Amino acid sequence: MNEVSFQLEKGDLFGLIGPNGAGKTTCFNMITGVYRPTSGGIWFNGKEITGTPSNRVASLGIARTFQNIRLYKALSVLENVIVGGFLRHKTSLFSSLAYLPGAIRETEEMRQEALRLLDVVNLRPVADVRSADLAYGMQRRLEIARAMATKPQLLLLDEPAAGMNPQEKDDLNGMVKKIRDEHGLTVLLIEHDMRFVMSLCERIVVLDHGEEIAQGPPQAIRNDPKVIAAYLGEAV
Amino acid sequence: MNDYQQRLVILAALYVTLAVSLNLINGITGQFSIGHAAFYQIGAYSAGYISHRWITELGHSPPRILWLFGMLLAGAAFAAVAGLIVGLPSLRLKGDYLAIVTLGFGEIIRIAVQNTDALGGAYALQQIPKIYPIWLFWILAITCIAVTRNLIKTARGLTFLAVREDEIASQAMGVNVTKVKVTAFVLGSAFAGAAGALLAHYEGDITPGMFAMDTSFIILTMVVLGGTGSITGSIFAALFLFYLPEYLRGMKTADGSALAVSGATVVASLLMVLIAVVCLKKILDSHWGDPRRRGAAYAAVVVASLVLVRVLVPIVGLFKPLSVMQVPTDQLRMVIFAVSLIVIMLLRPQGIFAHHEFSWTWLKRVFHRGDGPRTEIAS
Repeated sequence: MNEVSFQLEKGDLFGLIGPNGAGKTTCFNMITGVYRPTSGGIWFNGKEITGTPSNRVASLGIARTFQNIRLYKALSVLENVIVGGFLRHKTSLFSSLAYLPGAIRETEEMRQEALRLLDVVNLRPVADVRSADLAYGMQRRLEIARAMATKPQLLLLDEPAAGMNPQEKDDLNGMVKKIRDEHGLTVLLIEHDMRFVMSLCERIVVLDHGEEIAQGPPQAIRNDPKVIAAYLGEAV
Repeated sequence: MNDYQQRLVILAALYVTLAVSLNLINGITGQFSIGHAAFYQIGAYSAGYISHRWITELGHSPPRILWLFGMLLAGAAFAAVAGLIVGLPSLRLKGDYLAIVTLGFGEIIRIAVQNTDALGGAYALQQIPKIYPIWLFWILAITCIAVTRNLIKTARGLTFLAVREDEIASQAMGVNVTKVKVTAFVLGSAFAGAAGALLAHYEGDITPGMFAMDTSFIILTMVVLGGTGSITGSIFAALFLFYLPEYLRGMKTADGSALAVSGATVVASLLMVLIAVVCLKKILDSHWGDPRRRGAAYAAVVVASLVLVRVLVPIVGLFKPLSVMQVPTDQLRMVIFAVSLIVIMLLRPQGIFAHHEFSWTWLKRVFHRGDGPRTEIAS
């Protein structure tokens, strides 16, 4: 990636788009500390987080979903979300090993909270199903719920609508907006489906071959000649 | 209880401890460690050496049970430190590296002890005071089971399973993956060390040969056979694999001599197992939804193989050397051991219990043929 720069304000619904191989997921991986950028930096809440390990980034308040779904397959839907609450564990490992009342209470709290999040993404009826057995669209929603369980300030969604039918996409659209409004989140999302991005996002940045080619509100992006060229190919 | 029965009960407790503690590392946290006997050995030699050196100088003043309990903690502590030293660098790596490191570590420890005269060298570390209250062995096993079970029943313990399932996703949820892996590794090692400490005080003499690679592999087999991640599975597999050879060794004819079978019977039985496994595998892979039809097919295979072996014995017996040869059953035990492993790995590679744990809800679910969540917390 080269010369990419964008800034999110609190409460933004920000889209990151571009053709295949444009570097969108790479961008996510650099923000969340999976890769370290060779130059340049990333700031979050005024603090530089370039090269911070993934788990530290998460503890600062950035949560993400994955393009190639990474659920805990053998665990139930509910358990997947409970794991997302890890950062808020207060009891020690010892109290968990000894099964002390504190650990039991905490587990129960995590469980209740996970159930509430499953309500938000409409997965409560399947709470006890193995996550690998869920339909594709449901798995995507479960990933969002699991990321939400970390109580993030910034939510990174990597192609949340991939593999969903039009009805599911509409539901997701409403869901993301609702999550943003109710939890005061900032959302940065990668998406291929133009209609989905255009209707959901308030600002968009377009990448191509690792470079930023446009930035602005959906209307401006839609009519930008460079963007059209990147997606449809250059006129010869 | 005679000495032999007592030995069985004591060693069974140790194997249960070893299998469950390895399951914590291999099954629950998903780190493929194959040198568990090394930590068993470290516990045995450290506690054994301290006891051997000091208990006489202290003039038997400490109460023996208290002393043994202290030695158990010492063995656990030494093994835990060793686990930390091995785990910290190697658990940062992914996949097979840990297997290689733990395999190597197991051999290094064994050979190092073999060449240390103070520890008895290749001969034996002798004159460890013999203190072995049977109940303490089982308390250790039960503690190990309870701790592991408590862990996976709490929210914190779920992170261990999460690390097994997906490290990258766990890291993104804020989990310090290395810390979780090292914790599991140290905890598992500590229990193995405690088991070793008790073994030393039961045997009185310990040799490096007791902790050779095959001990590691037997423990690993117990975990895999029972189903990685299932505590219940580890316990059952540990008891089964420990008692099976002992049972075969104990088989006697009516006049009291060791039972022997002809070579032809052995070969015919192996052929029968081979054919039966192929048939069962075919049925397993078929898409018959009707459980009754499946059940009938399984029964038919069993009956057919019993008939088949009757027919095969005389046919194989036509080859004279085989029908003349007599094999005592206690020599057959390793063959049966291996064959039953192969059979289970072919027919049920996820282990007998897979990820399941024993619970009444699980039992109900089995009979209602549902496929619920694989772990405890949600049910």
